[in-house]
Order: sequence, then C-alpha cells, then structure tokens
Amino acid sequence: MPHRHLHYSTNRLAAIYVGLCALCVGGLLWVGFLFTARALEREVDLVIATELDALKDDYDEGGLQRLVDTLNRRTDSWGRNGAVYLLVDSGNHKIAGNLSGWPGDQRLLNGWIEFDIVARGSGREQDSYHPVRAEIYNLDHYRLLVGTDVSERRQIAARLRDTTLWGIALAALLSAAIGWWYSRRVAARVRVVAQTCEKIISDDLTQRLPQAGSHDEFDQLAAAVNHMLDRIEQQTTAVRATFNSAAHDLRSPLHRMRVRLESAFRRPGIDPTARAALDAAVDDLERVQRTLATLLQIAQADSPAALAGEEPVDLAELGQELGELYDPEARERGLELTVQTRGPANVSGNRQLLAQLLANLLENAIKYVPAGGHIGLTVEGDTRLASLTVSDNGPGIPQHAREPVLQPFQRWEDSASRESSGSGLGLSLVAAVVRMHRGRLALSDNDPGLVVRCEFPLAQKAAA
Amino acid sequence: MQTQILLVEDDVEAARHILQGLRESGYSAELCSDGREGLLRATAGRYDLLIVDRMLPHLDGLSIVAILRQKGDRTPVLMLSALGTVSDRVDGLRAGGDDYLIKPFAFVELLARVEALLRRHAVEGAAPSALRVGDLELNVLARRVMRAGREIALTAKEFQLLEFLMRRAGQVVTRTMLLEAVWNLHFDPQTNLIDVHMSRLRAAVDRGFDCPLLHTVRGAGYMVREREVAPAGVDLGAATG
Repeated sequence: MPHRHLHYSTNRLAAIYVGLCALCVGGLLWVGFLFTARALEREVDLVIATELDALKDDYDEGGLQRLVDTLNRRTDSWGRNGAVYLLVDSGNHKIAGNLSGWPGDQRLLNGWIEFDIVARGSGREQDSYHPVRAEIYNLDHYRLLVGTDVSERRQIAARLRDTTLWGIALAALLSAAIGWWYSRRVAARVRVVAQTCEKIISDDLTQRLPQAGSHDEFDQLAAAVNHMLDRIEQQTTAVRATFNSAAHDLRSPLHRMRVRLESAFRRPGIDPTARAALDAAVDDLERVQRTLATLLQIAQADSPAALAGEEPVDLAELGQELGELYDPEARERGLELTVQTRGPANVSGNRQLLAQLLANLLENAIKYVPAGGHIGLTVEGDTRLASLTVSDNGPGIPQHAREPVLQPFQRWEDSASRESSGSGLGLSLVAAVVRMHRGRLALSDNDPGLVVRCEFPLAQKAAA
Repeated sequence: MQTQILLVEDDVEAARHILQGLRESGYSAELCSDGREGLLRATAGRYDLLIVDRMLPHLDGLSIVAILRQKGDRTPVLMLSALGTVSDRVDGLRAGGDDYLIKPFAFVELLARVEALLRRHAVEGAAPSALRVGDLELNVLARRVMRAGREIALTAKEFQLLEFLMRRAGQVVTRTMLLEAVWNLHFDPQTNLIDVHMSRLRAAVDRGFDCPLLHTVRGAGYMVREREVAPAGVDLGAATG
C-alpha cells in the first residue's frame, strides 16, 4: 500500500519538498546547459560571419581572382582549424574550396545550412562523418559557402548535456534521500509523542512526555502536552477526591439510618403499618447504598491505582462459573443460557471486577430478554486478545442509543419501564471495568437483539 | 459463660444500636470508640470476638488488627468499613481481619458473620469429613449425600452449598456469605440469584420428606437445622418447599 504513506503529513511535506528541490536544481542546471550550448553555437556563427565578410571584401576589391587566391591560401594549412569553403559558379561547378560538391539544396542563395561531410580515411582509417555549419552568400553569378566543422563542439555540447542530466538525476536522488531521512526522523518523533500520549491517557495519567532538552518545536510540544496533562490530572484528582469523600461521608449517615431503622424494627409489639413502612425504608436505603457502591466502583476503576493488585484471571473459567451461577435464574425466567469457551483466555486484572462485569451483562440480558429468548456467553482467546461476548435475541438497543447507555444513569427504554429497571449504572460499570483492563467495548446488533463484546489484551507470559 | 464481644467503633450512635442488637441476641458486648484504647482493651485478651471499624481516631482498624496478629493474638476479628471497593476488602483481610463487612449493612448480616466467626474459632482444626444433620448425611471425601439411606444426586455447586450450610448447621447463613464462600464473588447480585440455587437444592434434599431440613430465615438467609427452632434474635420464616 504505497499510497497509505502519503497520508502522513510529514511524508507528504517531504515529498513536496523533494519534488520542488529536484525541480529547482534540475531547471537551473538545464538552463545553464542551454546557455552554454547556445554560446558555443554563436561563437561558431560569429567566426563564420566575420570570415564571410572578409571574403566579400576581397571579392569587392579584387574580383573573383582575389577571392579564389584567398580561398586557396586558406584551404592550405594556414586556414583555421576545421574550416570549410566552397565557391561555385552559376552552373554549380566548383571554382575553389575544400569541398567536393555543393551540399544540400542546389538553389539556395543566402542563409545558414547544416550538413555532414565525409572525411576520407587514409590507409586503414575509416571514413568519418563530421557535422558542418555554414553560411552561404550570393556574389553576382557565384555562390560562396563558408562553414566550420562543429563535430568537436557538438561533442562538447553532448558531453555537457549528459553531465547536466546526471547532475539533475543526482540532485533528485540526493534530495529524495534527504527528504526520506528527514520525514522519517520527524515522523519518528511525532510517533513517540503520539504513542506516549496514548499510553499516558490509557494507563497512567501521572506519566509525562520526555523532553530532549534541545528546546526545539518538539520540546515545546511536549511541554504544552505535559502542561495539559497536569491540568487534566489535577481536575480528575479533584473530582475523584470530592466524589470519594462525598460517597464516604454519605455512608456513615446511611449506616446510622439503617441501624436505627432495624433497631426500631426489632422492638417487640411494633404495629404492622409501622413495620411495613420501616421495611420499605430499608429497601430504599439498600437501593441508595447499591447505587453509591457502584458509583464508587466506577470511580475506582477509572483511577490510576485501579489495577494495583493485578492477578492472572482466566476469563474462560470465570465465564463458565458465572454462566453456572446465572443458569438457574435464566431458566426460571424461561430463557436459555449457553456458555461457549474456546481456548484459555488469560488476562491480567481484578477477578472480582471482571466477575462483576460478566454479572452485569448477564443480569441485563436476563432482565430485558423476554421469555423464550436465548442468551449466549462466548469467551475466546487467541494469540493476541481475549474476548468475551454476551449476545441475546431480546429487544436490543437502537444504534443511536448505544453510546449514551455506557454513560452513568442513561437508559434507552421509554420511561414507562423505568420503574422495574436497575440503577442505570450497569453498563457504565462494565465500560469502566473494560477501560481499567485496557480493553475495548463494542455494542452491536444481533438482528434482533444485542451483542456486547469486550476485548482484553492477553496477560504477559511471566518471564521465566 | 457468656460470649464476650468488643466493638471498636467511633460512630457512637450507630454503635449503640449494634450493641443493643448483640445483647438481645445473647452476647455480652462492650463498646470502645478510640483506636488506641481499643487495642489496649483487646490485648487484655478477655474477648471471644472483636468487631473493629476501619477508620478510628488515634489508631486505625487495620493497624489494630496488624498489631494483634503480630503479637500472636488469634482472636477472630470482623472488620467494618465505609470503604467498600474490592481493594479495600483485600487490604482488610490481608491485615489479618477474618471477615470484612461494608457499611451500611443489615444487622442480620453482622449477626450471621459474628456467629460464623465464633463457631469457626471454636472448631478450628477439626473439620470433619462426614457431616450429619438429622437423617441427612454428607461425606466430603466421597462427595456423596444420603438422606434416610437414599442417595441424593447433586451438582458440584449444590454439593458445595450444602456442605457450607451443614458445617454451620443451626446457624444463619446469609446470601452474601454463600456467594462469597461457594462462588468466591464479593458483590451484591441485583436479582434473587442465590434463592434460585437454594430452591433447587431444597427440591433435591427436602422433596418427598416430611421433615424439611433447609429453612429460609426471613430477612436474613438460610439455615440447615433438624428441628424448626429459631435461634435468638432471628425470625424463622415459613419454610417453603
């Protein structure tokens, strides 16, 4: 999946940077090459034009004979290197020069032409082709061609072009390498920050991001994140402390209330109306107490020290036990409860809270699934995860209500049936216990019914 | 001689009612509302049972128990606490408490646990492998249950339930105690879980016999007993069969 990597902004940025950089360097080199090649050509043209002018002067001053003399002299070793001359009459017959015949278009009177000449090899040397650039000038009935063998210059230009292309390729390669290295480095640092943040949020809010001490942007980011974490920790600690002390402060008066009620209850000769009232009061008290206990449990599950006393727990075994515990009750209500376990599912955690989680899920299902229904409890363990699934074919929970029911005191059903239901904390305790065990909780549709799936990381094998 | 219980609890108002309840149930109970004084009185060693609150002035309940255990004092201790989370309970039992009760609790729950701790202490070391109540016999080693010479088939959990009840014949056993002992679960089930299990057990043990042995103690729990006589302080409900 090569495209996936482009989703990371550092990679994208690096790719853009590399592209631009390669384009700039390449363009610069290419322009340089073009200018150099052009300058070489123009130098040739200038030499030819100058020489042609001088030859025209010779013709104007001394007529044909003087021009022929000059040309003959120049075609000797005195001539400049690689010079090519040809003077022909109106019948295209050669008068002077070092070319055997008129090249190219026979009728051209003026202008620049390019053609190849063949230098006959002497002895074992092979014939060689040479590109020539030449200017033609019309002198009355004659035509004069002055040119230069540009093969050497062309070779230089070609070499220059190759060098330039190599340079461009090298620049592109180099910038790609630098870009790759740079983006890897940035991405690695970002990844470290992200992973540490993740770990802090899920595991331990007291941890902080490390700072390299280089005062760069990453250190600034770490400092900002740490500051934010400080605030979050302060707030959650304050909220938890307030809540804990409130809950504990409530327990003492509740306890006193209960003890007093029961003491009155035991008094001999108490009349039946008072007895019933006391009974109802004790029942209410019990409900308040249960809600309080669950809230405390949720708060504790979310606290950093929650898993302090971790122990190995086999979810498969726990599932069997809880299934056995709830089976008679399910049957009593006309429900079928089946437990399936596949493989050991050893997690590290708190057995009591995990049992409570299972109990809440089973109690919920027993409460909501109508008689004749089915409840399935499945525990599976693989190499990575242990999963625990409770599914039923009851009324289920509509999609839009699945997230809210995990919050405390949220129930999705209409208020008419609220009377009979529990505190509304069952699923939020489940969610808290899952969070505490670094797991994942998902509610989905069983068509019809509800599937609650909890996934937990497997316990680390004890180091031998 | 009357059983001596020391209650160390700083909530005097609540403690007064508990003390009264214990006395009505036939125990001799004293109150102490300070941690340090509680430790001094407990070390004097004339108590059969200590009921210690966890949060006390001057010396907390956990320290009291820890110090007593360090001195080799094995007097059973029932811890009371407003701290009710799982780890709080573990801390309480680790410090040397024999049982842990979370406030607010029903008085019958306290009474059942007090009784269980006193009996356990009395029969420590001697756990018979053959139990007998009336014509009901349970052999722990053979895992067999016979009633009037007829074998009764029970599931593993039903056997454990019956064994727990028969070891405490004549004592009230609460639902929470059963859930803790047989399933090792320390939470309040929101439904009548235990009752369903007990009615199954009762169907197996008592059905077809004139004299029921498994009794429901109204408002408290269950009891295995040969004759239908209520112990002091509790009502015996009509046994349902």
